[in-house]
Amino acid sequence: MSGDLAFYGFAALTVLSAFYVVFSRNIVHAGFSLLFTLFGVAGLYAMLAADFLAATQVIVYIGGVLVLILFTVMMTRIPRRGAGGRGLDRFVPAGVFALLLFALLYKVITGTPWAEKAPVSADPTTARLGASFLTDFVFPFEFVSLILLAAMIGAAILIRDRRPAADDGAGGAAAPTGEEERS
Amino acid sequence: MIPACPLAAVSTGMHADFATVLIFILFGVFFGLLALGIARLLRPHNPHPEKLVTYECGELPQGSAWVRFNVRFYLIALFFIVFDVEVIFLYPWAVVFRQLAAAPGLGLLALLEMLLFLAILVVGLAYVWAKGDLDWVKSLTARPAGEEVAGE
Amino acid sequence: MFETLALNAPSWSDLRHFVPETVLVVTFLLALMADLFARGRRPAGPFALALGGCLVALAAAVSSLPAGPRSILGDLVVVDGLAGFFRVLFPLIGAITILFSWASGEIMGPRREHKGEFYALVALMAFGMCVMASAADLIMLYLSVELVSLTSYVMAGYMRTSLRSTEASLKYVIFGSVSSGVMLYGLSLLFGLTGETTFVEIRAALLAGRADNFALLVAMVFVLAGLGYKIAAVPFHFWCPDVYEGAPTPVTALFSVGPKAAGFALMIRFFYTTLLSPGGGQAAAGAAAPDGVIVGPADWPLLIAILSVVTMTYGNLVALRQTNVKRLLAYSSIAHVGYLLMGFLMLTAAGLEAILFYLLVYAIMNLGAFLFVIALNNRLGGEEISDYAGLSTRAPWVALMMMVFLLSLTGLPPTAGFIGKMYLFAEVINRHWFWLAVVGALNSVVSLFYYMKIAKAMYFTPGERAPLRLEPLHTAVLILLAAPTLALGVYWTPFKNFVDRAVAGFAGLGG
Repeated sequence: MSGDLAFYGFAALTVLSAFYVVFSRNIVHAGFSLLFTLFGVAGLYAMLAADFLAATQVIVYIGGVLVLILFTVMMTRIPRRGAGGRGLDRFVPAGVFALLLFALLYKVITGTPWAEKAPVSADPTTARLGASFLTDFVFPFEFVSLILLAAMIGAAILIRDRRPAADDGAGGAAAPTGEEERS
Repeated sequence: MIPACPLAAVSTGMHADFATVLIFILFGVFFGLLALGIARLLRPHNPHPEKLVTYECGELPQGSAWVRFNVRFYLIALFFIVFDVEVIFLYPWAVVFRQLAAAPGLGLLALLEMLLFLAILVVGLAYVWAKGDLDWVKSLTARPAGEEVAGE
Repeated sequence: MFETLALNAPSWSDLRHFVPETVLVVTFLLALMADLFARGRRPAGPFALALGGCLVALAAAVSSLPAGPRSILGDLVVVDGLAGFFRVLFPLIGAITILFSWASGEIMGPRREHKGEFYALVALMAFGMCVMASAADLIMLYLSVELVSLTSYVMAGYMRTSLRSTEASLKYVIFGSVSSGVMLYGLSLLFGLTGETTFVEIRAALLAGRADNFALLVAMVFVLAGLGYKIAAVPFHFWCPDVYEGAPTPVTALFSVGPKAAGFALMIRFFYTTLLSPGGGQAAAGAAAPDGVIVGPADWPLLIAILSVVTMTYGNLVALRQTNVKRLLAYSSIAHVGYLLMGFLMLTAAGLEAILFYLLVYAIMNLGAFLFVIALNNRLGGEEISDYAGLSTRAPWVALMMMVFLLSLTGLPPTAGFIGKMYLFAEVINRHWFWLAVVGALNSVVSLFYYMKIAKAMYFTPGERAPLRLEPLHTAVLILLAAPTLALGVYWTPFKNFVDRAVAGFAGLGG
């Protein structure tokens, strides 16, 4: 069936590219591979009749977060091919942990009587979401804008690259602060 | 096995819309590959290391293209994401606003609610603007020497 | 393809039950704007606005203590006794933090770039914590936790030029986002199990027959991981010592009481509402029975008991070896979480009263201890135990006040900490958790050793003799905190009544 085919296609795209993200030794390639992971997830959302979520996934994650991740990669240090070996001492425990977690989640997902609501209509959800934002969920909606504001100010405070002009040595009330000032 | 997704079978309007998108994407990928494939079949095969050198207007490239970016790109990208998310929240509002405006008493409220949402973020915009985070060229003379970074 | 939408009028008028929180948000926005106009070395405008806003919120909270539970804002938030208690506590903590930051070299020093924002962020954090304490829905739970986390990350990395501070912030972000992701997964499992997002509805669905299964246990553990991170319970504590040591000390002081209390508030509301059904009642069973009927995995209190024992033992044992006072206090705050968890797993009104009373006392004495560290850091430029040598001769009154805080943190009479611990242990013994009480008592003995290490340095180790004068503001706030620490150890009835009223009005235990 075409629906199943599309599902397995998107699932395979998501999982395989995610594996590449994790196992690739080139951090830039890993970042680009993430694009396919995120796109696959968007496809899965679309198949679950979550059209707005799918669009958001593409616009915010692929259009925004991924670009940010690539910027970060470019900013931190120039990646070298094959640099930094990944020792077996870390790979084995991480692998075992991941497998155990997968087993746990597999048991949960398959062995649980999930609360199934009436068949979800496949109509577009955007209008319903908009109405919810403005009526029943108006408080979380405004709350989100506060979170966004906090994120914005936080970003500005933490990574603004201006040096203070206040290195005047005026001292004043607070002379020693006992920290290692380095720049 | 993973239980089959129950919604995958539904093929109403929206799924058809998304199927169109998917077909567009598939065709896009297909035509790209087609062009490359045909070119591969037709072109002469004559590899040379010079051909793999990055094209920089005929000059020999200096160093790698993977240079260290200025942290300012990152800051701007972060602000971009914040406003990206804001736009995402605007979108459902825009879709539904006409209907809400028709409902008695809700229209003005819906407008004010969105204005409040925007006003809170405008405070953030005012903040980063006034603090100079949006200025791309910041008094270059004030920068200590030896701190030159690429990407300017 | 327009469908007809079911439209309810939004519940803006509910804001009249949400005054302290609204005040805090407005304070945050105003202080942020005022910072843009602040001139000079010290941002007086944001400081005054944030302090005033916190005090107004405090006054509003005290004057409008909710009598009974009231669901507001589309049933996403519930204002009840518990929320009423915490919306008094958080503006208070915020106001004290703002006060002692004003004279702290780490925040206001000449090399700091961002000053006014700090006060605005404290107000925003207080708001987030108030919402954490009143969230009644998974959406508000997650959003409020995120808001508090975000502001915490920024504050931890406040000293941008300090490597320690930057490292602290980075560690906080990484651990925070992982645990928040885990918690979100747990919440989604819970939603999948019940199809509901409101705590009360989740309980109803669980009671209707979806309670006893493996997925609920996993969901609970995942949510516990997220909240355990907020309160820094072992094994979710890894970030805690590094962040506490690296962050500016006023921020550490705020972290060690604020988000912790908010995490407890959220844990109490979430677990007592979704996994506990009122109506078991003390009348029905003997003294050993909880006040509610446990929904879901029957032995989750035992799980918390183990968590509590591990947390307090680990915190105390590691604190023994610390020489940096900030790290020592970080581990000791982990140990205190262990004590508080003892009260949490009693599932009784008396246990809750003990928690709230202890949180109040803990906020005062721990802020006091950290303020001591801040005040001396300003003067001595360090926070090693050895830095405090001979302090009893250099600044006898300050040493004495620190002594009060240390005694109180240990839980010795005649201090507030003793009364707090007394209520906690009394309830644990009442409910026949004898082994837990024994472990707790042993831990208190262990804690005596490391608290007294500081006292020993102050009183018995010879050091410099030149008299030391603190910032007047710091001395004033120290007195402001030391006085209640002593007074509550002698006369605590009004505060106990206040706490009892809060628990009586808590929606979870059938209030």
